[in-house]
Amino acid sequence: MKLLTLILATFRELFSKATLYVLLGISTLIMLGTLASVSAEHTDEGVILKAFGNPVSPPTPVEEVETLVFGMQTGLAKGLFFGIMLFGVFATASVIPDSLEKGTVDLYLSKPLARWELLLGKYLGAVAVMLAVILYFIGGIWLGFGIRTDVWNIQFLLSSFTMTFMFACIFSIVLILGVVFRNAAIPIIGSFLYLMFIDNLLDSREEILFLFSESKIYRGILDGLYYILPQIAGMQRSLAEQILHKSMEWKPFVQALLSSSAIFIFSAWIMRRKDF
Amino acid sequence: MSAISSESLTKVYSDFVNKKLSVTALNDFTINVEQGQIFGLLGPNGAGKTTFIKILLGLVNPTGGRASILGTLLPDVKVRERIGYLPENHRYPGYLTGEQVMLLFGGLSGMNHAETKSRTPSLLKLVGMEQWAKMKVKKYSKGMMQRLGLAQSLINNPDVLFLDEPTDGVDPVGRKEIRDILKRLKSEGKTIFLNSHILSEVELISDRVAILDKGKLLKVGTVDELTVTDTNYEIGFTGSLPENFHHEAAATVMKFRVDKQIISAELKDASELNHLIDMLRRHGIDITHIAKKRTSLEDSFINLIKREVAS
Ligand SMILES: Nc1ncnc2c1ncn2[C@@H]1O[C@H](COP(=O)(O)OP(=O)(O)OP(=O)(O)O)[C@@H](O)[C@H]1O
Ligand SMILES: [Mg+2]
Repeated sequence: MKLLTLILATFRELFSKATLYVLLGISTLIMLGTLASVSAEHTDEGVILKAFGNPVSPPTPVEEVETLVFGMQTGLAKGLFFGIMLFGVFATASVIPDSLEKGTVDLYLSKPLARWELLLGKYLGAVAVMLAVILYFIGGIWLGFGIRTDVWNIQFLLSSFTMTFMFACIFSIVLILGVVFRNAAIPIIGSFLYLMFIDNLLDSREEILFLFSESKIYRGILDGLYYILPQIAGMQRSLAEQILHKSMEWKPFVQALLSSSAIFIFSAWIMRRKDF
Repeated sequence: MSAISSESLTKVYSDFVNKKLSVTALNDFTINVEQGQIFGLLGPNGAGKTTFIKILLGLVNPTGGRASILGTLLPDVKVRERIGYLPENHRYPGYLTGEQVMLLFGGLSGMNHAETKSRTPSLLKLVGMEQWAKMKVKKYSKGMMQRLGLAQSLINNPDVLFLDEPTDGVDPVGRKEIRDILKRLKSEGKTIFLNSHILSEVELISDRVAILDKGKLLKVGTVDELTVTDTNYEIGFTGSLPENFHHEAAATVMKFRVDKQIISAELKDASELNHLIDMLRRHGIDITHIAKKRTSLEDSFINLIKREVAS
């Protein structure tokens, strides 16, 4: 009950901010853009898929159009993924430091609310907001494709949940940095760096980072980090598999769930030791 | 069972970078507050008043000692259902209205929505905020925030209320209103723990007060006990003093002053008092009363702090 109150309060907090509306506005534009630009033209030789009026494929038999659309959607999802995640972090990161601010934290923690409950409520609130945003965004694009090409890829729609899960994993990094530094800038920068560089470097550590040194310790540390931190790159590959209706690798999700939970527990531990 | 009790409570805020900046905010602080009392904690800036409240509410982890509220040893999350708190510099989410603030924090207090909803209007009315209930908090003035804060602290109908500078920023009429509210809450059997700088105000409503300085408890007692002095007496008499009385008394008694039918005297000890009485009686003067004189709480506070600084 208290947790629900916190989640709803976080919802309201974020929907009172302009950044979230900018995100929703951009989503709407892209959705409408998809609706306007994607089209399927039925000719005698087959179906020609077009984007912005230009054909993106040779004439294709009707049975194979589906695969083509899946491919387009996968490309779109990959392209939009970073945008959604980064903008999402930008729009939501403030909920942690704002609730730990002097004068505000006093109000929350003087209630019959454990410190971890406050963090969990804020965490789930931010994730719930992003679930709504992503469902709106991906759902809209899904609808656009469906209307224009008559391909209703349910896995593309369901990938909203996958993306939200991935956002939740990234948010665990926002959380821990937010608890430690009690401001919004460091979590935003930190999770951007993680998403753009660190995660990819760790994912491909064997090809790049291992070249710098053969030291066992060095490689051990990199391996350790790879297994401790949520493997976003791995999940991205699975995301593509999902949209393409291929069998999906689920191990990165289990790893990310464990990793994010551990980061959450560690954040709660740090939080418990703090004086406000 | 006492409402609040602490035993050798100590808090050191450590600064790991610069050890010199480590502060002992509370030093072996032992206190007991009975249920149904208004208790005032006084002390100069930085004395540790807020730290004490924050430890009781679980905002600050004590370095040593123990404390309990309503018989429950702290830290304890559940007991906070029976506590109300008005923090020193509280900030409510600016995008909420006064009413929404009440609903949010009522919900977090573990009350159900219907209960909170039904209590909100009367509480906002109690603090004189009913006409601002639908206004966004970011537009509130300081005094309005303070009033909302007080209403918010009462949302869960608490048994123990902690108020950190409750009248801060409130106008004189509002302060009187707040004092009246506190008296009323006390008559309902609630315990009120008050931090304040405004001694004249504490004096008016507190049953007991404690004086804290640099984390140490200097004195605790009723306002009467704290303001009474051992050296200042007043003696009432009838008739008129003889001509030579002033001269005679000045020779033996240190300082005194006659104002109508009352002699105010600053005496060294009881023997001087008796000497003065003998003298009056010798002149056949009838004494109507003898009383120890009180200072204001402010004077006694300042004297106490000065003495502490000197020692
Ligand atoms: N979070 C904190 N970290 C480090 N030091 C702190 C912290 N909070 C308070 N202090 C220090 O502890 C001491 C007591 O502070 P506290 O706020 O309890 O005083 P106070 O009696 O409430 O003062 P005031 O009347 O000004 O409100 C001060 O020296 C203060 O600097
Ligand atoms: Mg204070």
